[in-house]
Amino acid sequence: MPVPTTLRIALLAGLLALISNLAVISFIYLRTHDDAVLTVRQQVAEQAKVLADVYRTGGRPALDDAVQDTMTYGDPQTVIALIEPNGLEPLGNLETRPPSFLPRQEGYQNVLVRLKGQPTPREAAIVVHRLPSGEWLASGRIAGEGYAIRETLERSMFIAVVVAVLLGLLCGVVLAQYVGQRIGDIAAVANRISARDLSQRVPLSGAGDAFDRLGSQINAMLDRITGLMEELRLLTDSLAHDLRSPVSRLRSAAQAAAETTDPQEQEEQLGNVIRQADALMRILSGVLEISRSEALTGRNQFTWFDAGELASELAEMYDPLAEERGARLDFDRPVRPVPLFGHRQLLAQAISNLVENAIRYGSSGGEIQVRVGPGERFIRIEVGDRGPGIPAERRAEARRRFGRLDSSRSDEGAGLGLALAEAIAHLHEGRLILEDNGPGLLTVLELPVHAQQARAA
Amino acid sequence: MGRKILLIEDDRETASYLSKGLNQEGHSVELATNGQDGLFRATDGSFDLIVLDRMLPVLDGLSVLKALRAARIDTPVLILSALASVGDRIEGLECGSDDYLVKPFSFAELLARVNALLRRRESRVDPTEHRLTVGDLEIDPLSRSVKRAGRKLDLKPREYLLLEYFARNEGRVVTRTMLLEQVWDYHFDPGTNVIDVHVSRLRRKLDEGFEKPLLHTVRGAGYMLAA
Repeated sequence: MPVPTTLRIALLAGLLALISNLAVISFIYLRTHDDAVLTVRQQVAEQAKVLADVYRTGGRPALDDAVQDTMTYGDPQTVIALIEPNGLEPLGNLETRPPSFLPRQEGYQNVLVRLKGQPTPREAAIVVHRLPSGEWLASGRIAGEGYAIRETLERSMFIAVVVAVLLGLLCGVVLAQYVGQRIGDIAAVANRISARDLSQRVPLSGAGDAFDRLGSQINAMLDRITGLMEELRLLTDSLAHDLRSPVSRLRSAAQAAAETTDPQEQEEQLGNVIRQADALMRILSGVLEISRSEALTGRNQFTWFDAGELASELAEMYDPLAEERGARLDFDRPVRPVPLFGHRQLLAQAISNLVENAIRYGSSGGEIQVRVGPGERFIRIEVGDRGPGIPAERRAEARRRFGRLDSSRSDEGAGLGLALAEAIAHLHEGRLILEDNGPGLLTVLELPVHAQQARAA
Repeated sequence: MGRKILLIEDDRETASYLSKGLNQEGHSVELATNGQDGLFRATDGSFDLIVLDRMLPVLDGLSVLKALRAARIDTPVLILSALASVGDRIEGLECGSDDYLVKPFSFAELLARVNALLRRRESRVDPTEHRLTVGDLEIDPLSRSVKRAGRKLDLKPREYLLLEYFARNEGRVVTRTMLLEQVWDYHFDPGTNVIDVHVSRLRRKLDEGFEKPLLHTVRGAGYMLAA
């Protein structure tokens, strides 16, 4: 398993855990810190207001009493001091010698003070007020309580961050292991496939997650490849089989020509050689044309044309042939033009293949219809006959390359007609449909309109 | 009758087979075995026809053709190619060639096309200006009316086009593929004898009741209209 990737995933997970925890913790910290400071400030302001009220109603003596009371009965965190203008003789619990703090301006402030009997200065929040008679009144609280909360908070937050990072790393390792294993499964299958075992498939967990989707896509791709290879094998087999008879006919004709001494027979046999060679060439170009269409080359030769006119031209072209074979070819040209964006020559070939098939196998029915159906979503080019038709279970066979249903494999037709028509339909993002014409066979080229418009644009 | 033909073909066997055959027909053939050499010789414009292989060393056939047409040399060009798909043929024609023949081909097919191209070069006249006559057959391309021995023949539009094409190639062999390409403008090989059926219909209207037939079958090659 690729360790660096695992490590990277673990580190990434740890880092993400750290960042998210830090975000939460700093939010809590800031809020609680502000709350603590705000509470102290409110208490201090309250106290200062009470003392100011006492001074206003009772004057200095009442204030002295209040200071005394506060010192005596207030909680030990309270700071209170009444200082003469000269800075001497302070009343209250503030130690001024050596002077730790002497108020010089009014208002709320955070300062360091030393209380009487205390060895060290501490931080306090106090409000300073100057009386009209010149004394300074300072009252407030040692901020110890709030700060103690803050310290505890800071300590536990530090621990939380450390734990979060460790947990994050742990999660990352577990996650990386999991991902690594799922990917490893897929990689193992790919490995076995590279070793030429195409029957392998990616195991699916059944959870329908992203890995399953990846796995099933790979499996679908493998199915397609297997299908294509199977098709290729079939094609090669049938190509070899189909080439065998013309090649052996070619060979015996050539041999006969070489051996005979009668010039007329020799000429005849040589003509035979050429005919067989031409038949071979036709098979090869047919196969080539199919593979080119399936490879979607030729789309650069797409143009706009009237499908109705094309079908009408081809119907006119094949009408005498059908008549000669004892069938009537009917064509109803659509009233309006049917604009189609496609490969005119290839579509002409596809339609002519369908018409030739109908003439070849369906003439006995006496009637062949060619129709062009313009539709909102599809243009349907239909060729129907009243011949024997093809039973539903044999239609797939009929559209395969070299899939000729009469095993006699007579001279006419290499069995590529429907396969080529289908390949040309695919080139136009459409399909070839074989249907029962009740009686007879109905072949339909169904070409989507949207694909044409998108391509033409 | 003899004409100057430039053959650009790298396959020695094909080249010697073709030059021999064309020589026998009375043409003089000059051979170039790669695209660059062929282009160089073709640029003096003294040839009546160029037979150009599509796959050539140094410079491929289509590039030679494009360069020629860019230099405004309009010598007719017949492309020979092993590329047989419909798309390849159309591409070849769109690059400015006058005809396209797929390998392997019969010499009769090549000769028919060479003669058709040479003749086209010979008679560069407005196709609508002149009446066409073959023996006692008269064709008026303007009104598309056809008379034989003064009697009007009733032809369908496609039959008329077929006959006009035959008449413009009077005395020369016309192959089935040429008919499919020139009269119908399709570039695939039909798997049936559909062209023969059309020709025999035309022949029935044209020759039936007349002592001397005009439309002849040339065995192994195609058809010919001749008095």
